[in-house]
Amino acid sequence: MPRFLLLCGLFTLFLAASCEPDAPICENCPEEETDAPITGPANPTAYTLEVPSYLPRPIVDETNPLTVEGIELGRRLFYDRIMGRDSAFSCADCHKQELAFTDGLPKAVGVSGRTGRRSAMSIVNMAFNPNGFNWDGRDGKLWEQAVHPVEDMLEMDEDWEAVLIRLRRSRDYPQRFRAAFGIGRTSEITQELAVKAIAQFEMTIIAADSHFDRVVYRNTEFFTEEEQLGADSLFFIEDVPVGALHPGCGHCHNAPTFGDNRFRNNGLDNVSSLEDFEDIGFGAVSGSRFDNGKFRTPTLRNIALTAPYMHDGRFNTLEEVLDHYASGGHGVENEDPNITGFPLSERQKTALLAFLRSLTDESLPTDPRFSSPF
Amino acid sequence: MKYALYLPLFILLFALGCDDDDVLSTQEVDFPISFRAEFGGTPLAIQSADYAYPTGADLKIQLFQYYVSDLELLPAGGGDPVQLSDIELIRWMSATEAATTTRTFQAPIGDYVGLRFGVGVSPDLNAQDPSNFAADFVLNENEFWGPSTRYVFAKIEANADLENDGTFDTPLTYHLGSDALYTTVTFNRTFTLDGTQDPDFTIVADVLKALADDTDSFDIANPDQQRIHGGNQAIATDLWNRLADQFSLETR
Repeated sequence: MPRFLLLCGLFTLFLAASCEPDAPICENCPEEETDAPITGPANPTAYTLEVPSYLPRPIVDETNPLTVEGIELGRRLFYDRIMGRDSAFSCADCHKQELAFTDGLPKAVGVSGRTGRRSAMSIVNMAFNPNGFNWDGRDGKLWEQAVHPVEDMLEMDEDWEAVLIRLRRSRDYPQRFRAAFGIGRTSEITQELAVKAIAQFEMTIIAADSHFDRVVYRNTEFFTEEEQLGADSLFFIEDVPVGALHPGCGHCHNAPTFGDNRFRNNGLDNVSSLEDFEDIGFGAVSGSRFDNGKFRTPTLRNIALTAPYMHDGRFNTLEEVLDHYASGGHGVENEDPNITGFPLSERQKTALLAFLRSLTDESLPTDPRFSSPF
Repeated sequence: MKYALYLPLFILLFALGCDDDDVLSTQEVDFPISFRAEFGGTPLAIQSADYAYPTGADLKIQLFQYYVSDLELLPAGGGDPVQLSDIELIRWMSATEAATTTRTFQAPIGDYVGLRFGVGVSPDLNAQDPSNFAADFVLNENEFWGPSTRYVFAKIEANADLENDGTFDTPLTYHLGSDALYTTVTFNRTFTLDGTQDPDFTIVADVLKALADDTDSFDIANPDQQRIHGGNQAIATDLWNRLADQFSLETR
């Protein structure tokens, strides 16, 4: 009998302990219901994304029209750690403005120092990308892409429901969501609206004022001799001598966008079969083994700011990148045929590097339109 | 009394307004046209198939694409051709793609005697700046060499196994295009479009026929003939002519 009483007592104690209220999701947020009416302005102002005439016209996402209020809301969400686990991690922790919205690490490091699978991509000039997002193109729309980092345990590792509760209880965000999307109650703040706002902000991050642009399109500056050599003789491919092996970067990284966003095996890995890639990349998205080892061809704009390089950050410097391409691929059957290897003298390498550095938009790292609003 | 004159005039005007001849003459139907890529007469399989080349090498085709400009129907009664499209980019670049791709156009019902298109980018479009177009338009897909050489009209890219050792380690890249190479292809066919028994057209292009014929094969073992880019279009003329000449039209 005492044993039974002891068990009953323990059980009661266990029940009581499990009934302990959960820790507050947001310590600084008021304990309010999450379906309150929202008041305030609700007429979003349409925003036209203006880009210089030498860039293509941006790709319009009709499912997420840009508005002044949506962009501003997205900027706040992008920089606000309220989006990450325990309100302690933001998109901007891996996409730093001063590094052209990369993080300077080989592979992204998320909550609690967890190392991700791939390098954090630059989110500059997304408005010109027609081929899905991420290194492997798994998300068709920019706003769809923004869903995953929040819930990825190697990135922000948060439950979207927890994020939404924090947003709904916030003193500031409900009015901003109403201003951006015209909603009337806090329960109408959804994951879709949050990621659409973030995508609206990201769409506006345009880099188009580099030395290259000022030389070629604006005619206000001149190339140095080195930059000119790098451009005419090495990067672009208009006048390649017959049979010459040539860097030909322009095949995949042509101006003015400097990246066609298609998926290629650029000869990084010497695998014995297409199944042997450590990271199969686009193959996981397309479902075809022939796409294994293929990754996005990103823009080279701001490339001097975005080290280390490749989807896994294996190259620390641009010199290493050039050495890789000069050495050619490995004869893997799905390598891009434009990976040929080529002779590259020190003078040529210096010239090509000088040209690549001319692609940096020096105003981007401090442009207040893209900076933290906090 | 004078209103008695207005009444028949009004009826006449009303009757003329109801004439449906104009409506019939501009009625349009969906008209699908297919494009099929082949290698040696069999449907092209990007990357997944090993193709025997006449010189003894094996090929894996990585990319085959070409622009089609001014796709037009030729009316039976003469007159202006009916333009179905000013520009199309026909491309195979993934093992997941079928060898046949279909585009659907709008065409007026009527009798026709032929189908015509230009292989490449027509001179007026080839004079355009790609930044005039949205980033996802076919004339802005990184297929622009530069101000002097302009659009790449067609690309054939492959990896070759020249030594038959199972290693496809010789890349081949043929990028072709210039105003001088622009070629018009015409197929004479008599057909009617009425939305009921319209013909099924398939435009067929064979990669092997562009590279080789019964008497002459492009020498892919010669380093000078493994890459054609940009300003080297002089040596591309032979390849281009074979590519442009080999189009055929299947009708069902």
